[in-house]
Amino acid sequence: MTPHQAEFSDRVVVVTGARKGIGRMIADHFLDQGARVIGMSRGEAAISHANYDHRRLDVGDNLAVRSAFAAISRTHGRVDVVINNAGVLTSVHALLMPASRAEEMVRTNFLGAFYVACEAAKLMRKGKYGRIINIGSMASVLEPVGDSIYAATKAASMTLTGVLAKEFASYGITVNTLAVSALQTDMLEQIPRDTMAAVLAELPLPRLATPDDVFNVVDFFASSASSHITAQTLFLGGAHA
Amino acid sequence: MVTSDEVGAIILHALEALNEDSNPEDRIAVSLETPLFGADSGIDSLGFVSLITDVETALNVDHDLNISLADDFAVSRAQSPFATGETLRDYIMTLAAGQ
Repeated sequence: MTPHQAEFSDRVVVVTGARKGIGRMIADHFLDQGARVIGMSRGEAAISHANYDHRRLDVGDNLAVRSAFAAISRTHGRVDVVINNAGVLTSVHALLMPASRAEEMVRTNFLGAFYVACEAAKLMRKGKYGRIINIGSMASVLEPVGDSIYAATKAASMTLTGVLAKEFASYGITVNTLAVSALQTDMLEQIPRDTMAAVLAELPLPRLATPDDVFNVVDFFASSASSHITAQTLFLGGAHA
Repeated sequence: MVTSDEVGAIILHALEALNEDSNPEDRIAVSLETPLFGADSGIDSLGFVSLITDVETALNVDHDLNISLADDFAVSRAQSPFATGETLRDYIMTLAAGQ
């Protein structure tokens, strides 16, 4: 039994962007610990597990998010933990950025996180307990060339974390951000290797992060023992504002 | 289709829930005539958020009615739909009829 197995057993955990990458890893991680996981993504479910439920939706569609959480309320009755992970990245020089891609990043990475956090908080407040974890990025402070909109949406997410932490505090809900460095995911494949090497070289710990690096922080923020930890952004690899 | 009586009951239930979380001296009358917003209301800003959230959630979860009460239309109306429980009920019925 892992240290957090008893802690997360039977918890209801929502993970957005659960089909692949970090979201998939985190969904599997909570399932391994006995949690009930509801994954959200635009595509079909990629996980088959007795404790896994999938909602196919675009988190940037407010009506779809509201409907999904109403269904979760009817089915599960509550939500304990939210991992706001869904994100899209188009890395290209600002002068070449298609407007449609820029708008998609704002809608998914920022507004989607806001919509999901608010609908989750409406359920969490009934039980006076909740953990909202936004997945941020080192890009928000390293400001890599090509990531103008992506980095800005992640910086906005950090500000969102701070305000929501204040607004949701009286409901027993904490809101924190895990700002990841680079992991070996599909999203990373979009960035040229030399560009990523240059970005990593700026970190005090210049290596790719591992899934365990991510789980360590997610478990910390999601723990019931972390009730006095809110409005924080924790950077993997040593990036800092 | 949700009925006016059902909406009224949802509002009253939300007012009761608000009282359960309040100190005895801060409790408000559970009535459709109770002022919900403005100078005459005994509901503070956080309480108002809880009230609207409870009503929206009940409409969505129990009646599959996905409406947003604090939208541009509500803000722009000459008479605030949040004046009393009764005006809120009538406003919700207007929104429900439009769906």
